[in-house]
Amino acid sequence: MVDLVVNGQKKTVTEATDDTPLLWVLRDELGLTGTKFGCGIAMCGACTVHIDGQAVRSCSYPVGEVDGEITTIEGLGNPQALHAVQKAWIDNQVAQCGYCQSGQIMTAAALLAEVPDPTDMQIDQAMSGNLCRCGTYPRIRAAVHSAAKLMAEG
Amino acid sequence: MTRRIFVTLALGVSMLCVTAPISAQDTATPAPIDAKTKAEGLKNWAKVHEVFSHPRCASCHVADGRPMWMGNGDMKPIKHPMFVGGDPDNQTGQPGALCTSCHGPKSSQTEGGPPGADVWLLAPKEMVWFGRSSAQICAQIKDPERNGNRTLADISTHIREDELVHSGWKPSKGRDPAPYSIAQTAGFFTAWMNTGAPCPTESSSE
Repeated sequence: MVDLVVNGQKKTVTEATDDTPLLWVLRDELGLTGTKFGCGIAMCGACTVHIDGQAVRSCSYPVGEVDGEITTIEGLGNPQALHAVQKAWIDNQVAQCGYCQSGQIMTAAALLAEVPDPTDMQIDQAMSGNLCRCGTYPRIRAAVHSAAKLMAEG
Repeated sequence: MTRRIFVTLALGVSMLCVTAPISAQDTATPAPIDAKTKAEGLKNWAKVHEVFSHPRCASCHVADGRPMWMGNGDMKPIKHPMFVGGDPDNQTGQPGALCTSCHGPKSSQTEGGPPGADVWLLAPKEMVWFGRSSAQICAQIKDPERNGNRTLADISTHIREDELVHSGWKPSKGRDPAPYSIAQTAGFFTAWMNTGAPCPTESSSE
């Protein structure tokens, strides 16, 4: 049994062992399917969530090791109150197939929380661990800049 | 397709926080050692060097802030992909993509997954080992400017007790661990230290 705080809510997970990857707890136990499985070895970024605001690859993070509050794409914002990154993603129509985009958005949000006005280089360095087979990288970079502006405007 | 494998960093990382003074034993002019003792010391150093130069240790002792990827067998080392690093003074990764974003608290047990430990970061740039010879690494280990201001006894303790060092022997699935064991390595190091800590020459270490 594992106790977690996910998107501000306390959750007790009974079906997972300590070494179960966090990703499967989020998707299969808690029904938070916005976080995706990609490679399973922390190489693609599709499974990115936050633990205490830091981007982590949930596919490779044993749930028993979690020591902090988890935020998934569902908790970052919602259709009624979008996070600035989510709004910028829609404004820039970033997604192509969309599969990797929740991970992209979570990494971008973690970057902007620390660097409010990142350079192209800082964006590339932060986002290069998140792969997109559709090749939406130019739109990703543009959307991160847009989100930075939105956040600066409050 | 060649499977590219993450590499594990090991020694020297928590050295930053250690400011232990250098002992008189280390700073005093060393007494001459006889040939037999020196040979014994060099034998132990060779084993230490086997560990320090292993991919699980050396690949994160780099000068440019970019760790190496070097797998098992004869895989050619490459720079860590994903645009990782590039700032020699940055040991922990970039905002939004820290080392610990992928290298979690434990080594992955999925084939090809990332190694991990409680902390995960590059060794300070002064401690570059990758691509260095045995003679060069040996000289560095004895130099407080390049060993985190540690005595040799401190380093022996560091080998025995530091969790990040120990990750070299607990790699993720599919990667070879560092040779020998933690206790054996610390033993080789201490034995080398106790025989006057002799270093090989460039010709002998090649």
